[in-house]
Amino acid sequence: MSEQQKTVLVIGGGFSGLTAAVETAEAGFNVVIVEKTPFLGGRVTQLNKYFPKLCPPNCGLEINFKRIKNSGDITFYTFAEVEKISGQEGNYEVTIKQNPRFINDKCVGCNACTEVCPVEISNEFNFGLDKTKAAYITHNQAFPFKYVIDSKNCKGKACAKCAEACKYDAIDLDMKPEAVNLNVGAIVLATGWDLYDVTKLDILGGGKIKNVITNMQMERLASPNGPTSGKILRPSDGKEVNNVAFVQCAGSRDENHLPYCSYICCMASLKQATYLREQYPDSKAQIFYIDIRTPGRYEQFYWKVKDDPNVTLTKGKVAKLEEDTATGDVLLTAEDVLLGKKITARFDMVVLAAGMVPSTVASKIPTDISYTNEGFIMPASLKKGMFAVGTLKSPVDVARSVQDATGVAIKSIQSARR
Amino acid sequence: MAEATVIKPDLDFVKGVIEGGGDSLKKCYQCATCTVVCNVTPDSNPFPRKEMVWAQWGLKEKFAGNPDVWLCHQCNDCTAYCPRGAKPGEVLGAIRKQTIKQYSSPEFMVNFVNSKPFIPVMLLLLAGLLSVAGTFGIPDGEIVFSKFASTHFLQFVFTPALLFGVVVGVLGVKKFWADMKKAAKVSSGDMGGSISATTQEILSHIKFKSCGVSADRFTSHFLVFYSFIALGMATALGVLYIDILHIESPFSLTGTGFPVKIFGTIGAAGLLLGVLLMISNRFKNAEKVGVGSYFDWLLLTIVGVIMASGILSWVTRVAGIAGVAYTVYFIHLVFVLSLFVYLPYSKLAHMFYRSAAICFLKYSGRETRK
Repeated sequence: MSEQQKTVLVIGGGFSGLTAAVETAEAGFNVVIVEKTPFLGGRVTQLNKYFPKLCPPNCGLEINFKRIKNSGDITFYTFAEVEKISGQEGNYEVTIKQNPRFINDKCVGCNACTEVCPVEISNEFNFGLDKTKAAYITHNQAFPFKYVIDSKNCKGKACAKCAEACKYDAIDLDMKPEAVNLNVGAIVLATGWDLYDVTKLDILGGGKIKNVITNMQMERLASPNGPTSGKILRPSDGKEVNNVAFVQCAGSRDENHLPYCSYICCMASLKQATYLREQYPDSKAQIFYIDIRTPGRYEQFYWKVKDDPNVTLTKGKVAKLEEDTATGDVLLTAEDVLLGKKITARFDMVVLAAGMVPSTVASKIPTDISYTNEGFIMPASLKKGMFAVGTLKSPVDVARSVQDATGVAIKSIQSARR
Repeated sequence: MAEATVIKPDLDFVKGVIEGGGDSLKKCYQCATCTVVCNVTPDSNPFPRKEMVWAQWGLKEKFAGNPDVWLCHQCNDCTAYCPRGAKPGEVLGAIRKQTIKQYSSPEFMVNFVNSKPFIPVMLLLLAGLLSVAGTFGIPDGEIVFSKFASTHFLQFVFTPALLFGVVVGVLGVKKFWADMKKAAKVSSGDMGGSISATTQEILSHIKFKSCGVSADRFTSHFLVFYSFIALGMATALGVLYIDILHIESPFSLTGTGFPVKIFGTIGAAGLLLGVLLMISNRFKNAEKVGVGSYFDWLLLTIVGVIMASGILSWVTRVAGIAGVAYTVYFIHLVFVLSLFVYLPYSKLAHMFYRSAAICFLKYSGRETRK
């Protein structure tokens, strides 16, 4: 068994990828992680709390980061993409493109570059809820804790204010993309998911109503490291919110959008109702649903939230949202099915329980793979020695992604040994 | 505790809806998107979500005296936004066919007029009657359609046919009205005001304007509706001139025929445009809504053939092609007769039941959203 054949490549450094990586490395194999964004942790880093225990996701993430540091067998490339895959099980040739971060390993995270950077950009980590600079770091627990410069918006050497401000010589505006070639025995695909594009939901405002936000934006609003430092304030005027509606199946279970159940959105909305209720004792949450789907033992979480008299669950899909431009409030229309009445109600803010889309819809993995009509990977179509994890195959929660990734670790070890 | 409700599903009713163009019925999962996107439903007990579950369960009795299936103008906004492809707009159309059956007597006629032998039977019937009258054939000399079917013949056959259609329709509406009052537990209301408001609503076609995805149905229905009125006026004036005033027929080729020919020409042109628009709209929306059922197409076919044969018989008469002119005229008569008989048993019966349902909405004071 040569040293090379013991390497497993993990594409995607979210919770699934990290799990597959540390489990494989701790069994004595070399692992390379390739992550598209500048930081590891993926979607989980954007969450405020996990359901059903409502603990902060950084606990789990920190443990995994620690395991990466301790193992010594894990190499990771952030801000990098896989460009080419050839070969077969036990002997894959992979080309990685390392995008220029413009910041080298000397960075200590002092924030001086961000302070002087004159270019403001939309903060994608916070789903556009606030602005950041072209020289930035996403959040205070980012790993690696190393700043990044957004090449699309940075004015380059014409400006170079950041380079002047940096005392550590950590800024290199001449950095170019680099190709890295790897030989690996097995490949784990863990590129995760994107949120459904709510601008396609025309009757729900098409993304144009300021106080209609997505469930992931709600996570950022409630997160201590989010745009409002964890205070749930509505985007239009920063007002505290007293009554919030949750629109279930915003895109999911709909043949015109996502013809499947996104699995986690009911739990996410129930969870987010608790964020609101904890922060504002008099607040009211109303969840509009087709069916509340809390699979397996999550049912108990549903009962718990339902017992709160200030949380109302209304059967009836919301099919109309309008903005009251004078107040910024949102007017919501639904049929209260159990009453048989079409109602229009006013809310401070509305949260769309937007669905989950496999990341491969937006960017395909450069190898022969068959996808379902919805864009999920068909596992049987994968070449030997390639394994897809978690939300690439079906919408799942973090816990199931972790279980899946752990299982895939053993599969990839078997392939790497061949 | 409330008493137990025993559900008695009428499976034949469900089958009838499925076969009548509502085959997507069972896909509905009761999310109520349809009720929200519908711009013509009242807020209390809105449709079409509740109709979908009633029809799925075969609760035929719920549709007795239910005005809502008729308040539906088949805009198909519901169908466009339905997340399941359950096509509530089409299902309600199929339910309407079932309720027509409930209210029109004799009931078997509904199946007959909406079946394929209907037009051939009408053709044979008219050919037989013309043979008895002794005028079935191509007459010699100048083309005058009354040589083929005399004015008296038309009055003996067509006037009773129309009366029959109207009487069956009116009797159906009477039963329907009583059922609506019973179902809604309404005993009295402002009848005069309701009728006047209903007339205004129908004449202005205002409800069609609130349709979203198929707003263009306003134009086509408006054209067909007013063209029929113009053609009806032309016919009525013709009857007035010939039979009551005993003056020269306004239908002769040489005379000006004022104002009958003006009504006739406007009507024919409007109908041509309206029918073409209806057909094109149906194909335009086909991807999402489907092209429609036999039940839907039959009405459009009958109206289309009446329009086309009417125009063609006029053109060939002017051109002096006797064989074609008389043949086309015969077809024209077959379809006009069919239309009269078809009136209360078909999609066309909407003119009775939809008018009554709109009127009842106002009569019972159920609120509608502006």
